Amino acid sequence: MNLAEFFQVAPVAPDLLAPSLGLIIALPLLGAFICGVFGRMLGRANVHLIACSAVAGAFVLSVLAFWATSHTAPGAGDGARRLLAFYRNPFGIEADFVRYALAYDYGTWFAVGDFRVNFGLAVDHLSGILLLVITGVGFLIHLYSTSYMEHDDGYWRYFAYLNLFVAAMLTLVLADNLVLLFVGWEGVGMASYLLIGFWYTDPAKAWAGRKAFVTNRIGDFAFLIATFLMVLLVSAFTRQANAGDYAMAGSNSQRYQAALQEKGPLTFKGLEKMAEGLMDSNSDKVDLTTPIEAGPLEGYTFGGVMTAALLLFLLGAAGKSAQLPLYVWLPDAMAGPTPVSALIHAATMVTAGVYLFSRMAALLVLSPTAMATVAIIGALTSLLAALIAFAQDDIKKVLAYSTVSQLGIMFMGVGMGIFWAAVLHLVTHAFFKACLFLGAGSVMHGNGDETDIKKLGGLRHEMKWTWGTFLVATLAITGIIPLSGFFSKDAILHGVHHNHLEGLHWVSSAVYYLGLVIAASTAFYMTRLYLLTFEGPRSKEARVAHAHESAWQMTLPLVVLAVLSVVAAVYAFPLMRSSSGQPQAVFENFLSPVFSAMNRIANGAKTVELDTSVPHLADYVFAWLVALSGGGAAAFLYLRFFPARAGQPAPAFARAVRRTAQNKFYVDELYEFIVIRPVKFMSFILFRVVDALLIDTVAVRGTAWVTARVGSALRYVQTGDAQAYAAVMALALLGGVAYALIQVMQ
Amino acid sequence: MVPITYYLLLAAALFCMGMFGVLVRRNALVVFMCVELMLNAANLTFLAFARMRGDSIGHVSAFFVIAVAAAEAAIGLAIVIAVFRSRGSVLVEDIRTMKH
Repeated sequence: MNLAEFFQVAPVAPDLLAPSLGLIIALPLLGAFICGVFGRMLGRANVHLIACSAVAGAFVLSVLAFWATSHTAPGAGDGARRLLAFYRNPFGIEADFVRYALAYDYGTWFAVGDFRVNFGLAVDHLSGILLLVITGVGFLIHLYSTSYMEHDDGYWRYFAYLNLFVAAMLTLVLADNLVLLFVGWEGVGMASYLLIGFWYTDPAKAWAGRKAFVTNRIGDFAFLIATFLMVLLVSAFTRQANAGDYAMAGSNSQRYQAALQEKGPLTFKGLEKMAEGLMDSNSDKVDLTTPIEAGPLEGYTFGGVMTAALLLFLLGAAGKSAQLPLYVWLPDAMAGPTPVSALIHAATMVTAGVYLFSRMAALLVLSPTAMATVAIIGALTSLLAALIAFAQDDIKKVLAYSTVSQLGIMFMGVGMGIFWAAVLHLVTHAFFKACLFLGAGSVMHGNGDETDIKKLGGLRHEMKWTWGTFLVATLAITGIIPLSGFFSKDAILHGVHHNHLEGLHWVSSAVYYLGLVIAASTAFYMTRLYLLTFEGPRSKEARVAHAHESAWQMTLPLVVLAVLSVVAAVYAFPLMRSSSGQPQAVFENFLSPVFSAMNRIANGAKTVELDTSVPHLADYVFAWLVALSGGGAAAFLYLRFFPARAGQPAPAFARAVRRTAQNKFYVDELYEFIVIRPVKFMSFILFRVVDALLIDTVAVRGTAWVTARVGSALRYVQTGDAQAYAAVMALALLGGVAYALIQVMQ
Repeated sequence: MVPITYYLLLAAALFCMGMFGVLVRRNALVVFMCVELMLNAANLTFLAFARMRGDSIGHVSAFFVIAVAAAEAAIGLAIVIAVFRSRGSVLVEDIRTMKH
């Protein structure tokens, strides 16, 4: 049995494994329940065991599921193997199976009229790789936390929340429809809120949690509206589509209607088929410029509604993935414990927006406007965050802004249609950024919770493991050959440069040149962070005289993540051949079944020109030089220039620039002025008029007042004389008789 | 045969007399007897209609009323005796506890 064959035969057959997909979510959820309810009774060691083994179990199941997506059986011919499929797509014509995927549908979750949502889970190569990242990095961070949180009394609460987060994130990734994805989307938001405000006795930290939650809600609202638009769009499509549209999507009318009955309108496969049906055409078929004939969207075109929905999804993704204009929560989210920042606010949750757009790539490529907006938002966010990171002195704040910046780079890739590179950067970023955050946590742990890099320094001799892994991760994010970050970032920049959006050619160049500036800036601030923390002499203001290296539970995850951020580079090597025989990156080849519909639509609708070339050696050298120049500038400034001028005041303009960057370009103050103040003012008016006056005074106290007055008037009627009561009854009876008589007479 | 109208007029007269007694008499025992009078007026109406229609539903209803009246008499008289023992009076206007 050769190596390829080993990977093509899953240890557990996919049809056996599929019904157990729910366990991947259920295990961490059970762990969260046990830790949360019985954790205090169980004691610290048992909670550690339960929380870690729940995630480890989910990781094993994820590996099996991932393996099963490529399961093959012996086929005809000499040693040939036949791909088996376990994901029936009901929207296609007979025997339309999704390749390299497996799925299981647990039946109806809820149904209202024609609208139906199934509890369906699916694993393909995209969600499979994310499962591995979430559970794998998640397990390492659980392990790390056992040591990091050893002095905290809320350990059981912490591990319950952490397990809950993993369960929600797995739901988000495994969902085969938008509604179930939204459940995970909200779940990770809640877990994030709970963990940011974990030390809730500190008002600033509790406030940071609230800020994250409220900012996320704005995005979630947009997400919901976009989902509703999608439902309307699907119903309009089924009403107006003709046989030609269905033929283009590889389906037919009865098939599509039956699938809608079976699976509901919001499954990703169904939306993909609709996107294929809506492709541009020259005949009488329904396409993006066709107006919708009936319903609430009457008069708008399919393309217009699609663009609006995608832009709303962008706002939702901007909330979750910390992009402009909703990025402000992420830097404050650093109030949570450091492993949480590594898991939620670097590796997994914040990449949910990138995942969402990759999952809906087939819809996104229908609208060049939305794609351009995504790319530009990403580029601007990335640049802004990188500039702010220049002047931050808090080690976690620098990493937080760096995360915002790297997410912006992923959005650039998604917006320019180079989805595989964006996902690859997501994966490599999960490795090196988790490593950086955990390294920062290790530094804090060994230095009495000091986070100011000006008061650290010289740690390379005292914390050898932390230093080594931090250096590797810094080189990876900076983009130095041959680490993974270089290749994934370069793949995005290459794609951004060579892909072109229909009618918006300038976006490509603009985003590309911004990307180069961002790459140099990234190298600058990361080198600065590294130098100030680990090199040079130990600061005189240090809290503890000698830092101590952390325990093995903390250094082991660091080493594993550092190794991963080196070897993940293999994914970007052009070792494979595309169907047309050109060299192709491993990861592009690996994800091609996921993005096949996207490719068909991009070529058919001609909304975006996808370039399939691989970067030349000259491109690599150029990108390398850009990174080196940024890092070199930082090295010169912080090793030579500033130490030599120590004690002398900096020039006035430099201080002004630094102050602005340090104050985060006053974005928070701007939001305070534009959004928060007016909302507070409105709330004050509403409180005074509606709440205090109408509800409290008129409705609540008014009712009581009227009741009391009526009661005190009526008490004179109550004499207690039975005969008086009887007289009233008799009179009433008389009245009733008189009325009946009048009715009868008439 | 006596027309039904006469029965009904007699019943109405009995009912009005009973009601008048309930409303104006002071002694609880008399009030009680007046209630019986009203019940019997109702019985008379039932029987008159039963006779007119020639079926037995009216008779059944009348028997029910008699049974209920017997029970009511038993409980009512017991209450009157209890009230007399505790207050030494059976005058309706002296018993105004429903005010509280």
